[in-house]
Amino acid sequence: MSATETDERSWTAGLRRRAVTALPPEKLLPDQQPSYVASWIYVFGVLSLSALVVIITSGSILALKGPAWWHLTGIGHFFNSVHLWSVEIFFFVMVIHLWGKYWMAAWRGGRARVWITGAVTFLVAIPCALTGYVSQQNFDAQWISTQAKDAMNAVGIGAFFNLLDFGQMYSWHVLLLPAAVVGIVIAHVLLVRKHGVVPPFKLPDASPTEDVSP
Amino acid sequence: MPAAIFNLNHPAHYVHWHFVQISVSNVIVIVLMLIVFAAAILAPFPGRGGSS
Amino acid sequence: MSSRRERLAEDEGYRVWKGGYRPYDIVKEACIALAVVAVLTVLLTILFSSPDEKPSTVASWAHTDPVDFVTTATTELDGSSGTGGYGPPYNHGSDGQHILFLRPQKWMGVKIPIDTAKDFVLAPLRSIPGQPALQTAVSDYENASAKQQGDWTAAYEKGLGNARADADGSITVPAGNYGPLTTMMPALLSFAQSGGLDGVLLTSKQFYQTDYTKPLLLLADGSLLSDRAQAEHLLGEQWGMMNETGSYPGQVWLWLYTFWYQIKPFSTSANADILVMAVMGALSLVLILVPFIPGVRDIPRWVPIYKLIWRRHYTSG
Repeated sequence: MSATETDERSWTAGLRRRAVTALPPEKLLPDQQPSYVASWIYVFGVLSLSALVVIITSGSILALKGPAWWHLTGIGHFFNSVHLWSVEIFFFVMVIHLWGKYWMAAWRGGRARVWITGAVTFLVAIPCALTGYVSQQNFDAQWISTQAKDAMNAVGIGAFFNLLDFGQMYSWHVLLLPAAVVGIVIAHVLLVRKHGVVPPFKLPDASPTEDVSP
Repeated sequence: MPAAIFNLNHPAHYVHWHFVQISVSNVIVIVLMLIVFAAAILAPFPGRGGSS
Repeated sequence: MSSRRERLAEDEGYRVWKGGYRPYDIVKEACIALAVVAVLTVLLTILFSSPDEKPSTVASWAHTDPVDFVTTATTELDGSSGTGGYGPPYNHGSDGQHILFLRPQKWMGVKIPIDTAKDFVLAPLRSIPGQPALQTAVSDYENASAKQQGDWTAAYEKGLGNARADADGSITVPAGNYGPLTTMMPALLSFAQSGGLDGVLLTSKQFYQTDYTKPLLLLADGSLLSDRAQAEHLLGEQWGMMNETGSYPGQVWLWLYTFWYQIKPFSTSANADILVMAVMGALSLVLILVPFIPGVRDIPRWVPIYKLIWRRHYTSG
């Protein structure tokens, strides 16, 4: 069998070809950016990613010793605090990133999926935080779970997604929802790499040939 | 519980405006977000302009 | 206003940047960003730590406010408590919330069955050993007609309005025709104060248990949790969803979600939760679909903050 014949029938070769076409190494890890990427607003995406890394790291340490640990030791409480403040920072920088991307209309030029995956990340992060709040095993968890259960029950999911069931909420918080957030964020970042950072608006009085190199 | 430098375990102060009630801590966060957003847009970014 | 064709042609021009590039080290940028966030997080931790207010237990409730505990337990007995009249997924006490013809709470069905009389009062009392008079009282109650049971609980609830807590932890209720409740409810109070009710509510299904539905529903039916919440500004009408205990910053990103609960028609509606979820669901969809919504997608062009963001590009171009 010739190499071409093998390639055409191979799922592996086909997948590799599609992946490398969409994201060749120079696009996956570029060492240059368009000249217009020159504003501090552009760092809020990578700041959001960094906050997510700190959240997952501190959350993993909390998971090592189980959910009661942070109530019992100073070091446990330390990592709980790191986890809480990294979440606050995550939402802080992610929302500023969203504001920046909105005012840049960053969905232009075929980048709608970049916007969509970003918006979905934000919307999935909210129930991820909620499951964390109700897993604290303290008064805050008692109050939040007994209040928020009314919204879950009103829309018909409360029997399946029981905020008062600590075991279930802890499982969703430690595994399922972080996996969802990370998965969507990976798609979001790969789409940014594939499409590139959105070019500036053409100014209203600009000629159609501006921004095109000779 | 390890002692923090600033103890925030006391009832919060609230800002009231018509029917809106926000804790001072949350107001600080919101104001900080607006300041940081404005600063991010307005602050000069280091480096030369693009090569063509 | 440009035609659709002009708009699509302009958008096609944004697909690929054909202009100049500059060196940009994204890996170094990511490492610096991670270091900055890690340092900032540790700094905030050292400065402020994090809140950890101890949870309430049924035992602490029964000690702190025995009259409220016994009153709540009596409403569980006659089904007039919050949980008793809740509806699905716990029982058929009501149909639950609806919006137009949509009744998802009712359609969900009773999947977490809670019989408030049995689960919160009768079964726990049955589990107390070595008290034959108590068991006889429980049998008397169970064998009485529904009307007789209702007369007893209504009279007891009225009496509890004038009850007082005694120094030894018990309560004194003015005399009345309470039938077996005179024996049952003080026994339940003692059982709760000993911690037995916390245990029974948690382990009633099996040994290993992580489901706190029953003890939390019982606690939430009383005043203890809401009294603590009110002191911490966590009630719905206090914009509580945004707040954290103490003076810590809370969940600022929930501002729009809690906003609706503060205004009519949501603030006075029995269907507030489903209405707010519907509004927020619609707005979430709008957020996701911004690129496709005329007007919303054009605001960045009309309010040219972009001229500030890309000012270097425009002046050097």
